[in-house]
Amino acid sequence: MIEHDVVCPFCGCLCDDLELECEGGKIVKVQNGCALAESTFMTDTRLPSPIRRTESGWEKISYTEAIKETAEILQGADRPLLYGWSSTHGEAQSVGVHIAELIGAVIDNTSTVCHGPSILAIQEVGHPGCTLGQVKNRADVIIYWGCNPVEAHPRHMSRYTTYATGFFVPDAQRDRTVIVVDTRRTDTAGIADEFVQIEHGGDYAVLSALRAIVRGKTSVIPAKVAGVSKEQLIRIAEICKTAKFGAIFFGLGLTMSRGKYKNIRNAIELTDELNRYTKFVISPLRGHGNVYGSNEVFTWMTGYPFAVDFARGIAFYNPGETTAVDILRRGECDAALIVASDPGANFPRDAAAHLAKIPTVIIDPHMNATTALSRIHIPCTAAGIDAAGTAYRMDGVPIRLKKVIDRGYPDDAEILKKIYDRLNGGKGP
Amino acid sequence: MTELWVKNACVIDPIRGINGEIMDIAIRDGRIVESVSNRADVIDAQRCLTLPGGIDSHTHVSGTKVNFGRYMSPEDMRAGRTKRKGKMHVTSGYYVPTTFGNSYRYSAMGYTTLLEGAMAPLEARHTHEEFTATPHQDMMANTLFDGNWAVMDAVREKDIRKTAAVVAWTLKAARGYGIKLTNPGGTEAWGWGEDLTGIHEMVPHFAVTPAEIITSMIRANELLKLPHSVHLHCNNLGKPGNYQTTLETFDIVPDLNSARQTLYATHVQFHAYGGGTWKNISSKAEEITRSVNCKPQIVMDMGQIMFGRTMTMTADGPMEFNLHCLHHNKWSNHDVELETGSGIIPVTYSKKSAVNCIMWAIGLELALLTKNPYQCLLETDNPNGAPFVKYPEIIGLLMSKRYRDEECATLHAETEKRTSLFALERELDWHDIAVMTRAGQAKALGIINQGKGHFGIGAEADIAIYPIRTDSVDPAREYRKVVEGFQKTRYTIKRGRVVSRDGEIIVDGANATFWVDAKVPEDLKMENDPEFIKRFEQFYTVRMSNYPVQDVYLPRGRRIETEVFT
Amino acid sequence: MRVILESKVRAKPNLPIEAEAIIPRNFLKGTDLLVYEGNKERTLSELFWIFVEGTAVSPENIEVILKGDTSRIKRVGEYMDTGSIVIERDIGMHCGNFMSGGTIEIRGNADSWLGREMRGGTILCRGNASHYCATGYRGEKKGMQGGKVEVFGNTGDFCAEYLAGGTVHIHGSAGDFPGIEMRGGELIIEGDATRPCGNMKSGSCVILGTVHDMLPTFEKSGQRVLPEWKITADVYKGDVANRGKGTLCVRS
Repeated sequence: MIEHDVVCPFCGCLCDDLELECEGGKIVKVQNGCALAESTFMTDTRLPSPIRRTESGWEKISYTEAIKETAEILQGADRPLLYGWSSTHGEAQSVGVHIAELIGAVIDNTSTVCHGPSILAIQEVGHPGCTLGQVKNRADVIIYWGCNPVEAHPRHMSRYTTYATGFFVPDAQRDRTVIVVDTRRTDTAGIADEFVQIEHGGDYAVLSALRAIVRGKTSVIPAKVAGVSKEQLIRIAEICKTAKFGAIFFGLGLTMSRGKYKNIRNAIELTDELNRYTKFVISPLRGHGNVYGSNEVFTWMTGYPFAVDFARGIAFYNPGETTAVDILRRGECDAALIVASDPGANFPRDAAAHLAKIPTVIIDPHMNATTALSRIHIPCTAAGIDAAGTAYRMDGVPIRLKKVIDRGYPDDAEILKKIYDRLNGGKGP
Repeated sequence: MTELWVKNACVIDPIRGINGEIMDIAIRDGRIVESVSNRADVIDAQRCLTLPGGIDSHTHVSGTKVNFGRYMSPEDMRAGRTKRKGKMHVTSGYYVPTTFGNSYRYSAMGYTTLLEGAMAPLEARHTHEEFTATPHQDMMANTLFDGNWAVMDAVREKDIRKTAAVVAWTLKAARGYGIKLTNPGGTEAWGWGEDLTGIHEMVPHFAVTPAEIITSMIRANELLKLPHSVHLHCNNLGKPGNYQTTLETFDIVPDLNSARQTLYATHVQFHAYGGGTWKNISSKAEEITRSVNCKPQIVMDMGQIMFGRTMTMTADGPMEFNLHCLHHNKWSNHDVELETGSGIIPVTYSKKSAVNCIMWAIGLELALLTKNPYQCLLETDNPNGAPFVKYPEIIGLLMSKRYRDEECATLHAETEKRTSLFALERELDWHDIAVMTRAGQAKALGIINQGKGHFGIGAEADIAIYPIRTDSVDPAREYRKVVEGFQKTRYTIKRGRVVSRDGEIIVDGANATFWVDAKVPEDLKMENDPEFIKRFEQFYTVRMSNYPVQDVYLPRGRRIETEVFT
Repeated sequence: MRVILESKVRAKPNLPIEAEAIIPRNFLKGTDLLVYEGNKERTLSELFWIFVEGTAVSPENIEVILKGDTSRIKRVGEYMDTGSIVIERDIGMHCGNFMSGGTIEIRGNADSWLGREMRGGTILCRGNASHYCATGYRGEKKGMQGGKVEVFGNTGDFCAEYLAGGTVHIHGSAGDFPGIEMRGGELIIEGDATRPCGNMKSGSCVILGTVHDMLPTFEKSGQRVLPEWKITADVYKGDVANRGKGTLCVRS
């Protein structure tokens, strides 16, 4: 059986043109997807049933028991943490927020280790962006800054930028200029028309310099800024100013290098400045398939996109204080629920280690590094594979993930609703 | 079967010609009926002012750009925070509240139906998710078509039937309610960082003008017999001298519908400026209202601004960027491929600014100079002019010359010369207000026959009981009581259930979403048009099969079908 | 009147305590105040040993002294307008939030967001202050607007971000991006600083130590003697990337 127009849930590209061949309840072939998509749809390492840690190892438990114990763990906590959310659908994310509000917990998503800084920058200076189709149809200048889409977002360039045929850009290869800015020569740098190599931590200075040059203050700039020559800076500024439509995409190279959100802010301010001369947009390359969805859901429900603390009954937001990594590092939380995520693998060691010291429950289809730190692991559906639901692409476009096969697992939204009911004395959200 | 009997209500129901009669209202299973049994719950309205539930015909409460506004404004989020209490979830935000915040605050003010001012079809799913999280108001969405490529192509080909077919397909895919045009043609130009400065200027690359888009869409709208008319945010919003564009636009609107207007012009205050620069800007409310007073085919809403901080958010991308250049506040932009644009920027309206004072005066002038209250509805383009929680203050100003005089005394010295507000004596009455906040909207949106906006037998039992005794309050002098009275109902009843009592929500919501399934002849259906399909798959970045909003997003959708045209 | 609060040993010592009720004015009415430990409401006496010496008829004469392990106590001094608070050891985040008058003295170290959105009054920190010392809240156009924050040790990153008024004086070194987005007020750093005053619009900053990674968009406009610091300094105008007209003086 062939399923058409399937949406890949893996990365922020949310490619929705995949063709899957299913046989006997399994996915046997993936067409149009990248290697990451194939791996997502065809890997079969699902945990068969809920498990609980014992003295000597693990024991199987029923869903009812697992849910009951999870509710008890959360109920008794003075500072519970609900973390993850980025690989599941909006329906589950909404229930998560309701739970956090009910029990006075902190709820956070993977923005905290990824594009949280981008969000902070947007909160300072706004986000001049657009949907990906605008870039595909119009952009003649594409800038990839601090990211490596060839590896991490393999179809980004063929679907949306460099190689994509657009209405106003019919001959993509000829009509588009690609600039790559990075600290090292990545595979993406290999296909660039212009590569700008920056010293580690030098992004902020280079962005300031570009802004000044665009504003006509070239004389102030020294001969070299963070390893980049003034000539190259002038050339880049000129390419940008004379573009018909420029699009900047950026990733962890900018968000996670020193200065973090200030780097993004500076890139946004450069984009603002360029808008006085031509059309320019900037967008983050979101990593997880539905991390933007968790930002959207958290925002319309609580007012804030991540790191929301309900301990005082109202929604309080302060990254650095209410972010999961900081809370774990300080040993503040006394219980944790991890959903659709793997902090055990992605968090700094001292933060992840705290999860092992407190009662931690993980709800995720696969065993992962976090399982080793948890007391209970409850397997569930994987959104986009055996569960349908809403996901938000990296540019904010909402797409419905499909249920392609049935593996007999409960949807994590259902599991969370049952936990909510127990916490709420039997009444739904 | 649930029954409710509201007795001793002082009812103003303009659609049915009732103006201040003390009467009882009988409700069974969510609808108004002749009478109920003696087992019914009873509410004694104690002769308080009782109106059909409020209807906001243009508010920005749900969807991509509203959420952008929230997420970029943590400083506003902390301004309006409330805790979880009983049935009420946590809320945050003052000028861009969270969805629950919006719903609870509108309910406290007696509002039971809202039209979301702008929804891009590509992102409709997001709007519908937020509709579900705005549980105490029935919702409907103005669907953006101003920069729609397929529409512009059909308009260029002068093919009204094809234009109608594109509209029908898109409205259904987005589960939208009506046609919204925001700076028609201008949003496509903004895709290149440009804008249009007149309604006869060509949209770059598409060879159509805003005038052509507007008139073609009007004719398509009427061909499809859509319940609402075309809903237009005119070109040149916010620019000194733009009243000319507005008058020109009004002049090209035919009268094609006997039941309602042919054009709904929204937030006209922003489109009523004389002068040519920020230094000599003046009010042209007189000219605008003179035009509207002799054109029954046009209905407008005020677009009133109120002083203080708020957020502007519209599909009018270029206008928002201009504001950014003027005030340097943080600016977000979000152009939507093949469809439209948007911009979001916070703003502060200040009494120290002559421009802002003139803007404030213009909104009030429009309402006071329009003879028929059905033709000028009370709105602030929430939150662009002011957050909707300010509506009661606007009511107070419209009903009391004294209140206006007191405010006018605190305005910038230039204001008096540049507007006619100071000389206007008219004070609107309770009936006028009832028209401008519910009856007029129901008529304009075409939802009277859906049972909205009145208490006729069979109507939906959406009722707002305000703590106002019209026989003992003189609105001209006691405007404070008027303002307070409209801020919080004693009861807000929705579909026969009390949802809000003295400002507190007491039940979970179960709102409905109204959308239009417009029928077109088989040979015109876009899903059968190979050219439409080809261009869709080539230039959008989602597949056509993944684009339409699935039924699951409208758990209580109310589909309104129209007749096929020939 | 002196109110001495000595923190009790707790079962979960890492749980943060929010104690915005601890301001001198509140003790006029007694010591029956509420504080929060995680998501639980607690009375002051559950978490502190309380000793009151003397009386006061007005809050100006109330001194609150915090003893014991107070490193996880947040929001002490929030909205304080008069009186004084002395913290004998370390203090948690948001100490002196929105302060408009009175004095806070921290004898140990202060955690992040010391003096956030301050409007007036004085904060003295004898030890180190952490990140975001004397700054604002996310999304607001202005940070600290008045008053004085003096840190005798070092600060973390983003010290005085969005400074709009008042004085911030760091005797030690500041971390990365001190004075970033500043638009008024005065920032003095006697030690070193990295990438100071990015995006500066207005205001003045004086750095007596070494500047690391000076930003390329500051325009050197000359040299000046600063008699109050007994040094000659290079004077920069900037940040040019941002139409800035601030002044940054760095010891020559």
